[in-house]
Order: sequence, then structure tokens, then C-alpha cells
Amino acid sequence: MSSRASLLIAPVVGAIYLGLLAPLVVVIAVSFGPSAAFAFPPAGFTLHWFAEFFASDAYVRSFFRVSLVVGVLSGTIATLLGTAAAVGLVRFRFAGREALETFFLAPLLVPEILLAAALYLFYARLTIQASIWTLLCGHLVICTPYVIRSVTAGLVGMDPRLEEAAMSLGATRAQAFFKVTLPLLRSSLLSGAIFAFIISFSDINLALFLSGPQSTSLPVHIFSQIQWQGDPTIAAASTMQIVVIGLMILVVQRIFRLRLLV
Amino acid sequence: MTTDPTLTLGVPRQARSSGAARARPVWAILTGPYALLLLFLLIVPLANVALFSIHRYSPTKVALPELTFDNFRKIADLYYLRLFARTLKLGLITTVICAVLGYPLAYWLARVRPRLQAIGMFLLIMPLMVSAVIRIFGWIVILGRKGLLNEALAALGLEPVRLLYTDTAVVIGLVNVFLPFMALPLMAAIERIPPSLEEAARNLGASWYHVFCRIILPLSMPGLISGSLLVYSISISAFVTPALMGNSRERMAAQQIYDEVLVSFNWPSASSLALTLMLLTLGLMFSALYVTRRAARLERRR
Repeated sequence: MSSRASLLIAPVVGAIYLGLLAPLVVVIAVSFGPSAAFAFPPAGFTLHWFAEFFASDAYVRSFFRVSLVVGVLSGTIATLLGTAAAVGLVRFRFAGREALETFFLAPLLVPEILLAAALYLFYARLTIQASIWTLLCGHLVICTPYVIRSVTAGLVGMDPRLEEAAMSLGATRAQAFFKVTLPLLRSSLLSGAIFAFIISFSDINLALFLSGPQSTSLPVHIFSQIQWQGDPTIAAASTMQIVVIGLMILVVQRIFRLRLLV
Repeated sequence: MTTDPTLTLGVPRQARSSGAARARPVWAILTGPYALLLLFLLIVPLANVALFSIHRYSPTKVALPELTFDNFRKIADLYYLRLFARTLKLGLITTVICAVLGYPLAYWLARVRPRLQAIGMFLLIMPLMVSAVIRIFGWIVILGRKGLLNEALAALGLEPVRLLYTDTAVVIGLVNVFLPFMALPLMAAIERIPPSLEEAARNLGASWYHVFCRIILPLSMPGLISGSLLVYSISISAFVTPALMGNSRERMAAQQIYDEVLVSFNWPSASSLALTLMLLTLGLMFSALYVTRRAARLERRR
């Protein structure tokens, strides 16, 4: 970029980033501030709201026993489902392959809130009670496409002759896959898994419909606390989510191209 | 240069070498589990919604086994027409603002040094991945009656403004949440424009305004179209932002659906609304997909 152009554009871009990041900065600052009225900038430093967070059964349960559990399970299962699907789509030729590929990305095209309503009505018709399992099933639908994308990218970027060489040296197809392909796919697998975890961990739209009273996820609990005008414990809980997700994205950025996934 | 992995044609074929007869069941075993999951947790639930939408509502039994199109006819009522008009209007405003803000952001990201680009991408995607509730909560703290904005105005000796729980607040929230969905496709499109084109135009005396209108805008059109369709379709189905930042009486379509499903239990009516909104957004989404694929195909031919 020429220096003139960057001079013109840099302040605008700076302002846009300020707007994008302002809410997160404010939330983090409020969570460490002593004021119960969400004063910003904070008048001091305290960990009081984090202590409140850990003292609250509802917060602790929603964070550790619902969001984290569902997130890890979604990440793991979506990685298994998505890796298998990606290998099937990339390494095999069959009629209707492109249609299946489009079908597998379809969950990203359906608005989440409508998918959530549809799943709620479906469970209701089957009289299935809301639990972390109903939430997990919903999350698998929306998380798996991210794994498929990431693993597909990894497979396409890999030389298929490596696998062929292994097979011509006597490895079976399965051996070639597990000993050659899979280790080479490590970084795209890990990125896919992390993204699947993040999508599940930060999801609110599906969770609003699918979590029951005993399986309220952290975002849903935060949502209801905001509606009931709760105290800055909301900010402390939010800060914990921001830290978890920020760290995970840093990992993805180190090992993989971030933009393939959005 | 980005290659969308899903579009690549140069996929290795090797099914032949191991015998097509054996290869056939393997792909089915590999793709089968997720295909089944989608069948039971996406297709069947959507079909269930379609089924509910043509059943008559009953206050005692939710739905009567009696077919009717009344649920769709009711959408023509003034109340629902206004609901949809508001939703589409707020979506449009959000999309236009996202486009206006998205261009400088995308241009900067596309042309900046790789190191800064990595930082820029992190700062764009990090907030995108944090739950929308948290970002909205941040805005509530900023825009509230005694929030950061009004404190700042008071410090300057100005009158406080009432922003929270208005349409303006909803649009601010929606733009904040969905801007990355505009900036990323735009950035991909701008990266494909050779910088030499801009330099040539500048050397021949074109102003920045002309460079933008004659070079960047037309050549990034596929990115603008797919970004706009994407932002429009997700903002018309937004729930959390209008629910937390909007006026409780002036609502958006997704809020109505939420209430009819979880509060008033009028599932047939909710289903017809959901179906209408879904067809609208799916139409837009598939157009976006079509535009990106077409652009990628043209790119490859070049």
C-alpha cells in the first residue's frame, strides 16, 4: 500500500477496530472494577466479581458442567464425524459427490435461531426432555461443517502420492491413512476441533431453545442475567469466556490459516 | 490468494487404483454418519416445522389434526406485515452500514504487511467468536442511561442521549456483530485486484475517489454481493441483539418466533413464520453461494 493511501485509511480503520473491540474492552474492565453499577473506567482493581462467580452455583454449573462439557464433546465428536466425511468427499469419486458436499455445508446456511426452533419443536413432538444431550445434538449439526472445511483444506493441500507410495510399499489403505495421512493432517484436524469447540462454547441461539433448567449454558445464563439486571458477575463470566476463546484462536492462528474457517 | 477448499476441482483420484468395487462402500461409511445426523437433526425437524405450519392451532392441544393455510394467510395481517417490514428495514440499514465500514477495513487488511495483517485478522475474528451476548452486554454498558457514552457527554457539558432500547441501538449492535461477515469476503475480493492497476490509475492522474469507483468497486463486486447477502440474511434472523438492545414493543421477526414457540405455545403460527423467514434467508444464502462459486470459476479460467 502506498504511504498516502495508508495515511488516509489508517485512522478510519483504527476507529472501526475501536468500535469492534470497545464492547470487549469495557466488559473486561468492568469485571475487574469495584463498582456494582458497571462504572467505566473502573475506579480500582478487585477480583470480587470473580469470587462471586465461583461462589454462584448457577454460574459454576453453566460454565463447567454445561458449556465446557458440551463444548469438549462437540469438538471431539464433530472432529470424528467431520474428518470421516471430509476424507470420503475428497479421496473418493462417486455420483452426487458435489451435492453431498453442498448438503454438508447446509447447516451454515440455515439461520441458527430457526434451526433451534425447528429442533425444539422436533424434540417436543417426540417428547424428549431438554438436557445437555439435546444441546449436544444441536451443536453437532452446526459444528461439524467447520471441521469438514478445515480437514478438506488440509487434504486438498496434501500430495496424494505420499499415500500411494505407502500403499505400493505394502501398506493397506487403512495403514496408509493412519500412518501417513493422519499425522500430516494434524494441524488442520486440531484447528477444526478447536473451532468446533468455540462454536459450541459461544453458541447462544441453539442453547436458548435447547437447554433445559438443569442444562443452562453459560451464554444463556448470561443472557438471562442481563435481562434481570444482574451485577458485574456477568462481566466476570464474560471475561472468562473471552480469555478461553482468545487463547484458542491464538493457537489456531499459529498452526493454521485462520481465514479458511470463517 | 485464497482457495476455497470446497470449490477445488483438482482433487486427487485414487479410488480407481484400489478397485472401484471396494471403494464404493468406503465413501458411504465415511460420509454416512454425518449424512444421517443431518437427516434426523436437520431435514426431519424442518419437515416437522413445515407440517406444523399447515395445522390449525388449538389453545389446549397446540395443534389440531386439521389442515389449513390460515397460518400463512395470517402473515398478511397488519401486525405481521409491519413486523416483517421492520425486520427487513433494519436488515437493510445494517447491511449498508456494514458495506460502508467494510470497504476501508477490507482494503487495509488486503494490502497491509503480512505481520500487521495477522494482527488485524486476529482482532477481527476474536470478537466474532466471542458469544454475541457478551458483545451486546458491552454495548449495554456503553450506551446505557448512565453508561460510558452519557458520562462522556456529561463531562463535555452536553445533554445525555437515550440510545439503548431504540432502533439505533439495535443497528449499532447488529453492525458490530456482523461486520466481519462483510469484511472477510470483501478482503478476499480486493486481494485479487493487482495493486499495479491502482498505481497505474494514480500515475495517470486519477483521484482516490476515481480509483475506488472505477477499479476497486467494480472488481470487488462479487465480494460485495456475497458479503451483503450474508449480512442481510443473518441480520433479518437476529434474535439476541434486538432482544437485549431493542424496544420490547418494536420487535424483529425472530423475537416473535421465539415468543410464539416458548411463551404462547402457538407452534403452528410460529412454524409458518419460521418457514417464511427461512425461505427468505435460504434464497439469499444460496444466491451468495452461487455468486462466490461463479466468481471462483471465472477466476480459475483466467
